[in-house]
Amino acid sequence: MKKNTIPTNQLIRYAILVYWSIFWLFNIVDKFIGGSHFLWVGRDRFAQFQRFFASAGIDSPFIADFALVVAAGLEIFAFVFFTGALIHYFKNRFDAARSWFLAGICFTLITFTIFSIGDHVFGDRFELLEHTLFWFLTLFSWVVFIRLERSTSSDELVIKKKQLITASVLSVMLVVVTSISIFNYNTNFFSRRTDAIEAQKVGDNIYKVSFPFLGGSTVFEKTIDKFKKENPSKKINHIYTVPNELRLKKADALIFYIVTEDKE
Amino acid sequence: MKEKTIIRFSILIFWTFFWGLSVLDKIIPDVHNLWVGKDFFALFVKFFGSLGLKNPIFATMALASVSALEVVNFVFYLLSLVNFAKGNKSLTEKWFFRAVFSSLTLFSLFSIADQVFGDRFQLLEHGLFWLILIASWILFKYISDSDEKSFSLGFSKDVKIAVIIGICITAITSISIMNFSNKTFSNVDTPVSGKEVVDGVYKFDFPFLADKLVWEKTINNFKKDHPELRINYIYTGPSELNSKKKTHMLLYVFTEKRDIIQFKEK
Repeated sequence: MKKNTIPTNQLIRYAILVYWSIFWLFNIVDKFIGGSHFLWVGRDRFAQFQRFFASAGIDSPFIADFALVVAAGLEIFAFVFFTGALIHYFKNRFDAARSWFLAGICFTLITFTIFSIGDHVFGDRFELLEHTLFWFLTLFSWVVFIRLERSTSSDELVIKKKQLITASVLSVMLVVVTSISIFNYNTNFFSRRTDAIEAQKVGDNIYKVSFPFLGGSTVFEKTIDKFKKENPSKKINHIYTVPNELRLKKADALIFYIVTEDKE
Repeated sequence: MKEKTIIRFSILIFWTFFWGLSVLDKIIPDVHNLWVGKDFFALFVKFFGSLGLKNPIFATMALASVSALEVVNFVFYLLSLVNFAKGNKSLTEKWFFRAVFSSLTLFSLFSIADQVFGDRFQLLEHGLFWLILIASWILFKYISDSDEKSFSLGFSKDVKIAVIIGICITAITSISIMNFSNKTFSNVDTPVSGKEVVDGVYKFDFPFLADKLVWEKTINNFKKDHPELRINYIYTGPSELNSKKKTHMLLYVFTEKRDIIQFKEK
C-alpha cells in the first residue's frame, strides 16, 4: 500500500515559497509599524532613508517618503505574488504557481537592483554586499524551484521506527540537558542585567569597571551611582572606554576606566 | 516573453548598473549634491601608507588601474546588454562571458590586495562578489536550454484580485509611512530632553534622525535650563549600552553644582 507522504522536492519548493512570502510580509509589517514598539523593534527605515538623502543634499522629507513608498509598493507586490504562488501550489495548480512565483521573483529582483543602485549612490558598501547577496538568493531560489519541478526524485520522508525512537530519545535528552543549563544560568546570573559593578582601583585616581555581557545602560548608571556614593570626595573627570582593539577577542565585554580627581 | 529572457535581462541589468556606477563613483571623487559615493582615493592612500609607501603616486596609479579595469567591465556588460536588446544571442553570450571573466580578474586582484593589506572583511566581501559572479554566469549560460517556457500571467480574475489587494496594501502602508514621517521628522532638529539618572548625571536618548545639530541644540538647551549646573564631562555611551537596535545613541552629561554664591552674583 502506498503511504500518503510528500516527496522531498515538493517540500523544498514549499519551503522556498513560504520563505519569500514571510520575508516580504515582515518587511511590509516593518514599514507599516514604523518605529520601535512593545514586541516590535524592527528598523526605522524612514530615518535611514532620510539620512541617506540628507547626506546627498536632499533634506526634504517628501523625497524620503516617496522613495520609501516606492520600495514598499515593490515589496507589497512581491509579497502578493509569492503568496498567490503558494496558494496555487497548495491547490496543485503548478503552472499557475510557477508564473506567480516568477512575477514575485521579478518584483524582488527589481527591488534589490534599485537598492544596489542606491547603495552605490550613497556609498554604503556593506549594504551593497547585502543587497547583492539577496539578489543572488532570489535568482538561486528561482533556479532551484524550476529544477525541482523537473527532477524525478521520489524520495519520501519515511523513517524506520527503530531509528525514529533512537533519534527522539537522543533529542529529548539533549533538549532536557540544554534547557536545565539555560534555566540554571538564568537563575544564577540574570541579576547581572541590573546589578551595579564594583569599580576596581588600578592606579592613582583611576578605576576600572569590567562589564558582564548582560550589562546595559542600567548597569552603567547604577555603577556610576554606587561609585559616587562610595567615593564622595572624588569628582569624575573622564570616562575612558577601552576600544575593541585592546580587548581580548570575544572574551572581554565592555571595559571602561573612571578617571577622577579629589574635590576641593 | 520567455522566462529565461526575463532572468537573463535581470542579470545583465544588475551587473551593467553595478559597474557603471562603480566607474561613476571614481569619476566623482568627493561628496556632492545627489552623490555621496565612497572615497576610494583615501582608502587606497591609507592602504599603501600602511605598507610604507607614503607617496600618493602609488595610490593614484593603483586607483587609475582599477578604474580602467572597471571601465572595461562596464563596457563589456553594456555591449552584452545592447546585443541582448537586439536579440543577438550569440554575441550577447560572448560579451557577457568577457565581462564576467574580466570582473572575476578584478575581484581576484582585489582579493590578493586584501591579503597583502590584511583586510579580512574586504576579503570576504570580494570573495562573495566573486562567487556571485561565477553563479551569475552559470545561471545565465545554463538556464538557456531548459527554460524555454513562456511567462504567461495574463489578466485573469485572480491576477486582478492580486493587483487590487497590492494597491490597497500599498495605499494603507503609504498612509502609515507618511504619518510616521510627519510624527518623527521634527527629531531632525529638536533638542533631546535629558533625564537625571544618577545625582548630577543626565541621560539623553538620541533618536535615529538626530545628528550633530541636535547634539549642539541639546547641550545648549540643557545649559539654558540648568544655569545652576556646570558640565564637567560628556560621555557617549558605547553600543554595548544600547538596547539592541532600539536606541540610536546614548549620551551622559556629568554635572556638578556651581558655587552658589558665585552663581547668585552672576
